[in-house]
Amino acid sequence: MAALRSTSSVLLGAAASRPALRFAAGAASVAARRGMAQLADGATHNTTASGENANLKTFQIYRWNPDQPSEKPKMQAYTLDLNKTGPMVLDALIRIKNEIDPTLTFRRSCREGICGSCAMNINGTNTLACLCRIPAEDKAEMKIYPLPHTYVVKDLVPDLTQFYKQYKSIKPYLQRDTPSPDGKEYRQTKADRKKLDGLYECILCACCSTSCPSYWWNSEEYLGPAILLQSYRWLVDSRDEKTLQRQDALNNSMSLYRCHTILNCTRTCPKGLNPGLAIQQIKKQMAF
Amino acid sequence: MASIARSSLLRQVAAKPTNSLIANAARATAFHTTARRDILPPLPQKVKGTVNDAAPVPPPSPSHGSYHWTFDRLVAASLIPITVAPFAAGSLNPTMDAILGATILIHSHTGFQNIIVDYVPQYRTPRARKIFTWGLNAATVVVGIALYEYETNDVGITETIKRVWAA
Repeated sequence: MAALRSTSSVLLGAAASRPALRFAAGAASVAARRGMAQLADGATHNTTASGENANLKTFQIYRWNPDQPSEKPKMQAYTLDLNKTGPMVLDALIRIKNEIDPTLTFRRSCREGICGSCAMNINGTNTLACLCRIPAEDKAEMKIYPLPHTYVVKDLVPDLTQFYKQYKSIKPYLQRDTPSPDGKEYRQTKADRKKLDGLYECILCACCSTSCPSYWWNSEEYLGPAILLQSYRWLVDSRDEKTLQRQDALNNSMSLYRCHTILNCTRTCPKGLNPGLAIQQIKKQMAF
Repeated sequence: MASIARSSLLRQVAAKPTNSLIANAARATAFHTTARRDILPPLPQKVKGTVNDAAPVPPPSPSHGSYHWTFDRLVAASLIPITVAPFAAGSLNPTMDAILGATILIHSHTGFQNIIVDYVPQYRTPRARKIFTWGLNAATVVVGIALYEYETNDVGITETIKRVWAA
């Protein structure tokens, strides 16, 4: 996978002849990192000066600034002392923003995995930065990218406009014409309520949708795992009376049936939900 | 992949009068890993309506949706017994052979159809979509006729597999 190799080593390697390349790449990438991120350099000095017990960890973070649209996105390295940092990746990001580079941009809010703001691609997996532990024993660099195949607003902030528009299109609210028999709340049995477990917990962080190849290729028309899981949450709700209309809205070649059971969604879900199963349930429900 | 990327990179390095390689490292680390291939460049992002409008819901068409999927699954599931049956029974029945051929044909047709729907999107490449869809239909018809000829004038699918197996 040459395409995934560190870009600096590829470029610097390209300038030299082939055999010399491998050797040059290692040294060059160190130099590149220094030359590129003086701020990171400064941080390194600070942390190393703090004591010999410093537990250093380097974070390679995707940077792109919309104010310089002609400049290509790049990876910037920041080195932190893990002894002074919280256990999660979000703690590291906040510390980088506070102490090293205030221009680093990312979304965060609750820092406990309930808001879904800090969804990003960490070491190749879509997850919430606040729920992702920094592996302390592993000395390897951590690579942090925005959610894959999204339009990037800045740095680690993806544009989720289409995602929210699609969420709106499934009418994610209770639709009902008949009033409840006693004029109070709409009741459901314990068994009916149980069907919503594993569905209502979804926080719409978009980790699953942006990990789905089908959604990468067809996000304009395919709804994606997160929205389909939400759709199923309303399809199985015993109180909802517009089930047929909801099914009709999905009954075309694109909205639902672009799911090919790849199950990246289920693997990546930071909340441990199973969007793949929910989509299969919708298909089953609509099959006969 | 690497070689393609490298050549384009070399061009960039050669084009620029670089006084220092390291000074250019910032630009160097930009994502150069993919070559510039303007076969189907991504369109600029467009928001249909305002950001607060819901995404458009397509009109229901079960023949492309639920019926299609159900039919697809039934065909795929029925292929297993149909494939095994002639070998398990040990007898060659031309009717079963014809059914096997037809099912394989339908199965591959819907399979290719799925690929086309996935990778030749209607909104992005409407003309290519049309060409591919009709190309597939034509190919299916041709293969159908070929299978018919093979079943009527030759030994048939099962017998062929048997002979190839024994050879």
